[in-house]
Amino acid sequence: MSFLKLTASGMAIVAISATAAMARDNVHIAGSSTVLPYATIVAEAFGENFTQYPTPVVESGGSGAGIKMFCSGVGEDTIDIANASRAIKQSEIDDCHAAGVKGIMQVRIGYDGIVFASDINGPEFAFTPEDWFKALAANVVVDGKIVANPYMSWHDVNPALPDQPIQAFIPGTKHGTREVFEVNVLEAGCKSSGAEEAFKAANGDAKACIAIRTDGRAVDIDGDYTETLARLAADKNGMGVFGLAFYENNTDKLRVATMSGITPSTATIADGSYPVSRPLYFYVKTQHFGVVPGLQDYIDFFVSDQMAGPDGPLAQYGLVADPELAQTQADVAADKVMDQ
Amino acid sequence: MTEVSVDPARSGPARSILVQDARTKRRNAAERRFRAYGLAAIGIAMAALILLLTSVLAAGLSAYKQTYLQLEVNLPAAKLDPKGNRDPAEMSKVFTLAYAPLLQQALAAKLDALGVTTTLSAKDMGDLISKEAPATLRNQVLADPSLIGSPHVIDVLASGRIDGFFKGRVTMESAALDANTSPEALRVAQALKDAGVMVTRLNWAFLTAPDASDQRPEAAGLGVAILGSLYMMIVVLVMALPLGVAAAIYLEEFAPKNRFTDVIEVNISNLAAVPSIVFGILGLAIFINFMGLRQSSPLVGGLVLTLMTLPTIIISTRAALKSVPPSIRDAALGVGASKMQSVFHHVLPLAAPGILTGTIIGLAQALGETAPLLLIGMVAFVRDYPSAFSSSTGLFGDPSTALPVQVYNWTQRADPAFVERASGAIIALLVFLLTMNAVAIILRRRFERRW
Amino acid sequence: MISVTFPFLAVLALAALAYAAGLARARAVAGGDVRSLVALPKHHALNAALATLLPGLGVMLTWLLAIRVTETSGSTVLVPGSALTFPAVIIGAALLGGALALMRITDQFRARIAAERWIIGLLIAASTIAILTTLGIVLSLLAETISFFSSYSWTDFFLSLVWQPNFRGDSQLGILPLIWGTLYISFLALLFAVPVGLFAAIYLSEYAGPRLRAVAKPVIELLAGIPTIVYGLFALVTVGPLLRDVIARPTGLGDSASSVLTAALVMAIMLIPFVSSLSDDIINAVPQSMRDGSYGLGATQSETIRKVVLPAALPGIVGAVLLAASRAIGETMIVVLGAGAAARLSLNPFEAMTTITVKIVSQLTGDTDFNSPETLVAFALGLTLFVITLGLNILALYIVRRYREQYE
Repeated sequence: MSFLKLTASGMAIVAISATAAMARDNVHIAGSSTVLPYATIVAEAFGENFTQYPTPVVESGGSGAGIKMFCSGVGEDTIDIANASRAIKQSEIDDCHAAGVKGIMQVRIGYDGIVFASDINGPEFAFTPEDWFKALAANVVVDGKIVANPYMSWHDVNPALPDQPIQAFIPGTKHGTREVFEVNVLEAGCKSSGAEEAFKAANGDAKACIAIRTDGRAVDIDGDYTETLARLAADKNGMGVFGLAFYENNTDKLRVATMSGITPSTATIADGSYPVSRPLYFYVKTQHFGVVPGLQDYIDFFVSDQMAGPDGPLAQYGLVADPELAQTQADVAADKVMDQ
Repeated sequence: MTEVSVDPARSGPARSILVQDARTKRRNAAERRFRAYGLAAIGIAMAALILLLTSVLAAGLSAYKQTYLQLEVNLPAAKLDPKGNRDPAEMSKVFTLAYAPLLQQALAAKLDALGVTTTLSAKDMGDLISKEAPATLRNQVLADPSLIGSPHVIDVLASGRIDGFFKGRVTMESAALDANTSPEALRVAQALKDAGVMVTRLNWAFLTAPDASDQRPEAAGLGVAILGSLYMMIVVLVMALPLGVAAAIYLEEFAPKNRFTDVIEVNISNLAAVPSIVFGILGLAIFINFMGLRQSSPLVGGLVLTLMTLPTIIISTRAALKSVPPSIRDAALGVGASKMQSVFHHVLPLAAPGILTGTIIGLAQALGETAPLLLIGMVAFVRDYPSAFSSSTGLFGDPSTALPVQVYNWTQRADPAFVERASGAIIALLVFLLTMNAVAIILRRRFERRW
Repeated sequence: MISVTFPFLAVLALAALAYAAGLARARAVAGGDVRSLVALPKHHALNAALATLLPGLGVMLTWLLAIRVTETSGSTVLVPGSALTFPAVIIGAALLGGALALMRITDQFRARIAAERWIIGLLIAASTIAILTTLGIVLSLLAETISFFSSYSWTDFFLSLVWQPNFRGDSQLGILPLIWGTLYISFLALLFAVPVGLFAAIYLSEYAGPRLRAVAKPVIELLAGIPTIVYGLFALVTVGPLLRDVIARPTGLGDSASSVLTAALVMAIMLIPFVSSLSDDIINAVPQSMRDGSYGLGATQSETIRKVVLPAALPGIVGAVLLAASRAIGETMIVVLGAGAAARLSLNPFEAMTTITVKIVSQLTGDTDFNSPETLVAFALGLTLFVITLGLNILALYIVRRYREQYE
């Protein structure tokens, strides 16, 4: 019965491994997939320059899941840093406290620009938020009346735009990018086109501003930017929403559109003239300082000028360097926590 | 089953066996059609496979080749060893940032020596070289401080765009639009290649190197992922095969036909339909939170995949056991064997081919799964090789990734060079799978029989 | 944390010792003539070894489990104070079991039956793992599901026709469009995969020569091993635009590159080996005598297959189809890339739809607050899917029972 032997070795695996749960010597990071590329760039550089520490492990899985793991408690088997593409919420801080996690350090690493781009061989687009609202909203205001979105071509929306069928690939509702898109583009366009007041007058609120049409002209992308890029390749009339870093790596395939006359770039986002961007953060468990080797060195290294500065590798990759980086560095040096 | 009906037409005139009557013709035509359907089905499956494989191979084979650049670098002591005592601990205070300009200067010197004139700025020239190169140089210097002070010849990776140029992925036209390279850079690269300074050669590092960050597609490798997948497959094989076969034997051969057995039976086929990510939720709750095993470890990954594979193995093992004719059991019992002996000595060996098929399909599924690993922390960026056993982390306890995770991660990255890497990883995954299949075929040959 | 390596290895060593001792003692009892024993010496030995191993391991696992359970409630009563207590108790249990078994060795002792009883115990334990897994899944989903329903009305969840999560709360999370998408896509996929897979299996087992069979079978099995992302990209880049340009646009049925049909077709390719490989083994195992009987009556080969072989293999084939269906329901990547991520209720196979599994993954890995209903809904979706597939499986079991035929 060789199969009994297999059983025995199976038990052996369980038994021997149950002795585990001892000291962890690598920094463990989890969270947002938007922050992931930056975190891996820093982790890699950290690993090769600080040879006394192992390279940090960076998990992806979304801001929500990252913060959940972060707030699950203190100790070797919990993560040290949560990456997030949005600020932590008060309810999450409360969860953290309930689980004994205190002294959370918030570090803003820079800004993520969100750009609108189409196939490189297509025409140029110069958008305003109003164009996007009119193209994608479920209901729009025509001649003072609220009607189901009748527009089929960008040209219908705004005569200045090329006559190309509306086919937009926008981030799905799981992405933090969607929220930025809704607030900075759809709601802004809703307001400036005057539709907001019409909606308020009709429904009592302006929720209709962010209701997206469901006739297939706007497609939610639950995957990542590579999926959006592949969809543009399959549908040359498509218009996609991308992160600035992604666009910068694919300038030979994508033609970026201007928003309110401004071309997106690290410079225009940093000075605030390009309207669609959001801050990126990571959160550090200060209780793990001195317990997990290298944790403090890692965050110091992350916010240092040579990494997060305007000439560092992160900015080269497409992160919009934080204009207030010096303040962040001072806060990190002072171990400033957000919740005490 | 077949009902015998008397056909009145049969009692007609005498017929020759040399001439087919209409009915025979019809039946033979049906036979041919049926056979053609079967062949067509196999054809469809094969065609689909060939189509998929060609697309993967076309995109991925180039990952196994890489462009390297040979440079002679000056290593000034003043910069690399400011204290001058050649102590690696002291020298490690000098970061890779200090090494990058040395490589740039070496490249500029090389171009001068070759007589290539260029309008590239120093920074753009640096972009010809991989961002991995300074780390390679630094590691060599730290390993052997005596290199400092004299020129040192080193092979470094060319950057992803340049590598892509020699593989046909980047063209002069695309480079004109590309923010990360320029036609001028490609022209210089071509000149270097013509001079033999740059060579594109076989790249085993792709299979051995760890993952690299988004800025260094040319340096990314599968080393950690292959180890992680291997460890997980060992865990799955050792856990799932005996458990699955034992459960199937009990249910098929020994279990009384009662409610409890029905419950188990329905449970098992239901578990096969549970989306794999739910097993991730389960693994997080049980193996990590309850049992306290390590996050991101191949052990937990293997256990989760075991639970996920078990239903497949149980179902196919039961089908295989079911197909062993009762006469075998009766004969064994008839010569005085116990029920247990008849099962273990006679039925089980005869059912082995079917069990193997199920195990292979189950393992193949486990090998390609990403979703359950998402929740137990294996979808991660890991650069340190996991060891099979260490005193501090136990058996298979080091953080690691897996092959499908690497594919998943790489398909999400912005740099187009990662498309090639992801396809290359899929090729590695398929080779892994083929090896497992080959073992199964050999075993199946030994056991398969028809009666 | 207590080390279990030492006690575990000790128990293994003791079991080996018990085997040797059992062998020796049985031979001694036999007094040179093994025929005087009711059971063979190796059965006595096996019984002694199992009687050592299993109590030892049983005590160890129970204790570890008890420690974990009580630890989570804050008590440390069971954690041994001295490093010796834990191994001592385990080794004690093993020794006791082994000694009792060795003492029972007489010429009249039916050791084989005793040993087989231990083995049956092991087999039962293995088959209860399925139940434990189910229990684990339900428990790990239940708590979060309850907290989901405390913030979101269950009538809206089960009866609403709209799935529209929203970052700022106020989402509409109706499961019906997702259930519809799941069933629709899986059904279409099986509609393609089952005939192709079944015919491939029939051809391989009944018509193909040994050489084609040896090559084709493992090659088709490769289809099951290709990562689903490859299928997904194939659907997105090739199949989707093809279907749109060739069928959907000319007929005016749709304008979307991602459609239910795209996902179903591509998923069917992946499912072929699930149907073909398992069915092939089962068809192959139908006794040759049945075929010979049918040929003897003058049936052609295809008639034999349709009327004799397939009915005999039916239960196994249903099992294979169920497995394929399960895989179809659980698939994510092909659906995301092939059919899109939009939840919609429609009969048109050229429209984009999505499945429950896709939404479980995306809600769980998103950027939303983890305790918001938008994320917690993933657990409720998982539990609902679990209940649905349970229902389908009970139905399938019932059908198989009704139509099962046993041949020899």
